[in-house]
Amino acid sequence: MEKPKLLIDGKRCDGRAMNELRPLKIQAGVLNKADGSAYIEWGGNKILAAVYGPRECIPRHHASPYRAVIHCRYLMASFSTLDEHGRSGPNRRSIEVSKVIKEVFENVVVTEKFPKTAIDIFIEVLQADGGTRCAGITAVAVALADAGIPMRDLPCALAVGKIENEIVVDSGKLEDNYGDGDMPIAIAPRNNEILLLQMDGMFTKDELRKAFELAYAAFPKINALQVEALRAHYAVKKDEVGL
Amino acid sequence: MEILDEIKKDYIIDLMKKNKRPDDRGYLDYRPCTVEKGIFESAEGSARVKLGKTQVVAGVKIEMGTPFKDRPEEGVLSTTAELLPLASPTFEPGPPDECAIELARIVDRGIRSSNTIDLESLFIEKDKVLMVFVDVYVLDHDGNLIDASALAAMAALLNAKVPKIEEGKLIKAERIDNLKITQKVVTCTFSKIGSQIVLDPRLDEEKAMSARLTLATTPEHVCAMQKGGKGAFTSDELINLVDVSFEKGNELRKLLD
Amino acid sequence: MTKIVVPGELVANSPQGMEFAFVENGKTYSSILGLFDEANPKLIPLEGAYIPVQYDIVVGIIEEVKFAGYNVDINSPYKGFLSAKDSRYEYELGDVISAKVREVDEVKNVDLEGARKLVGGEILEISSAKIPRVIGKKNSMLDMIRAAARSEIFVGKNGRIWVKGGNSALAVRAVLKVEKEAHTTGLTERISAFLNEEVNK
Repeated sequence: MEKPKLLIDGKRCDGRAMNELRPLKIQAGVLNKADGSAYIEWGGNKILAAVYGPRECIPRHHASPYRAVIHCRYLMASFSTLDEHGRSGPNRRSIEVSKVIKEVFENVVVTEKFPKTAIDIFIEVLQADGGTRCAGITAVAVALADAGIPMRDLPCALAVGKIENEIVVDSGKLEDNYGDGDMPIAIAPRNNEILLLQMDGMFTKDELRKAFELAYAAFPKINALQVEALRAHYAVKKDEVGL
Repeated sequence: MEILDEIKKDYIIDLMKKNKRPDDRGYLDYRPCTVEKGIFESAEGSARVKLGKTQVVAGVKIEMGTPFKDRPEEGVLSTTAELLPLASPTFEPGPPDECAIELARIVDRGIRSSNTIDLESLFIEKDKVLMVFVDVYVLDHDGNLIDASALAAMAALLNAKVPKIEEGKLIKAERIDNLKITQKVVTCTFSKIGSQIVLDPRLDEEKAMSARLTLATTPEHVCAMQKGGKGAFTSDELINLVDVSFEKGNELRKLLD
Repeated sequence: MTKIVVPGELVANSPQGMEFAFVENGKTYSSILGLFDEANPKLIPLEGAYIPVQYDIVVGIIEEVKFAGYNVDINSPYKGFLSAKDSRYEYELGDVISAKVREVDEVKNVDLEGARKLVGGEILEISSAKIPRVIGKKNSMLDMIRAAARSEIFVGKNGRIWVKGGNSALAVRAVLKVEKEAHTTGLTERISAFLNEEVNK
């Protein structure tokens, strides 16, 4: 396939400015059985996150006498991309993504409160449009809060990309596939510490600096939508009862 | 096991507070490191890296194959890592776990994103490309498997020779040209222990660390990064590590000559 | 004013020893999704698993009969254990009991005592975070439901509620309504109206 033009007249291929996010919608408490859940639509991403726990840790030898262990399973549905029918089940990519997402939440969840237990996080990417791990993390934070699991913060995430010599936020799938670099970042918004960082592409030090600058300018917007989703979930119920 | 680790962890964190590392190294020093190329005849390329007491080998096999459908004009690069059970009591036999997969994918990402192997140069004819398999085997685990593995993979690639191609077939017995390598990618891995950041963690330091950060570099660019572990870094800490990675990366690059 | 707070949200500019909160750099933050009232600084969780605390009264289900006693499912990540020495009866797998948490050790072994078998009736499971609303101030909510439904109702801190006799269907619906609207204000009045309406149907 011919490489598509990613920058047209100073704008990106979908008309966005360099620092502009795609439309982002988060909904809390969308599943019935799960202890906590959230649904996120971000650009063309459609992703469900669910949380079970703290519950008994299976297998039991995984359990820790000091804290809850966190399991995370990130998966892409077989129909989630325009590419050929994908194979279901984990692959090498999804196993790595699951691991780095798990580490984000090991940082913020107050695991020491629940020794010997497990907290299971499930992320199902139903439709993928670039930046799925970041969208997944953003949704999981909402799902964990919805499950009543104590956390020191509500992490959010964003992928910053490089297109030719421009740094852009929230790369879409085309930009991800044909751009010159991709850097997913997850942070704890309260102290801005980096909880997930991956990158591939060729960045100079100044470009990295610029990438962080743009990402940190966008994080508060994402975080505000997470908080709003949680408040709305309980406010909606207030409306239902006519208050 | 876990309880003993917790005790050792407290000791290491205490030591760091006293501005010391368990083996008296500077915070940004590598352990003694050696690279040997061409240690196996069976592979098209191979290398052994010893980094302190950590030891890994890498083999490169080159085969004829079909390209990926979405990249019909590019050769194929595949990188794996095996955490052999003989290398550590914590490594279990069986398919690669998340740690082995992450390790392989970090090594792969550095090589791939910097175009260290020009994949287009591996195109032979329609539906026929060269496939380069880089497999890293960890033989002895004393920490910082990422840097040792990336170094071994890079050394094995530099050592690799492409077999002769006749009528679209590989003549395995005749190795002629060097595999075309455009530059040398190396990784620098840092551990955060307490509030201290150290380069090239030993295994005992890894057990005490809250997080690690790997930067893969070419002489001018950072070409891959990966944070691991439950701890956190600030963006300032990260930016400060960029120059360190270029400088220390150059030391590693010299070992590859 | 009571407001909904989220994990990591600042609730006080000074260090406060509040449950479900944590202190960092001299400030207090909520660790949970909950309700916070500035006038009466206290965090009330809106969701969450049941974690046993000493002296809690719980509704359990005998899960395993062992030589020394019983493993009891208490709707929690942690199992309860009822020593055979401490129980006057012999229980069978699947028996429903009420019991008091005698002790929880640091690795969350939960010892139960004072077990009583709950025979017949039905069991509801709701989020344990909402049990205080089901009980109400000085038992007000629970007494109201009991009176309207004329049912025996036993409420476990662990989110399990045992209901028997009378108009138990009404009692169940009332409890579920409390659970659904637990975080809203004016709940008592609304439940009272609901019960009146249903009883006079």
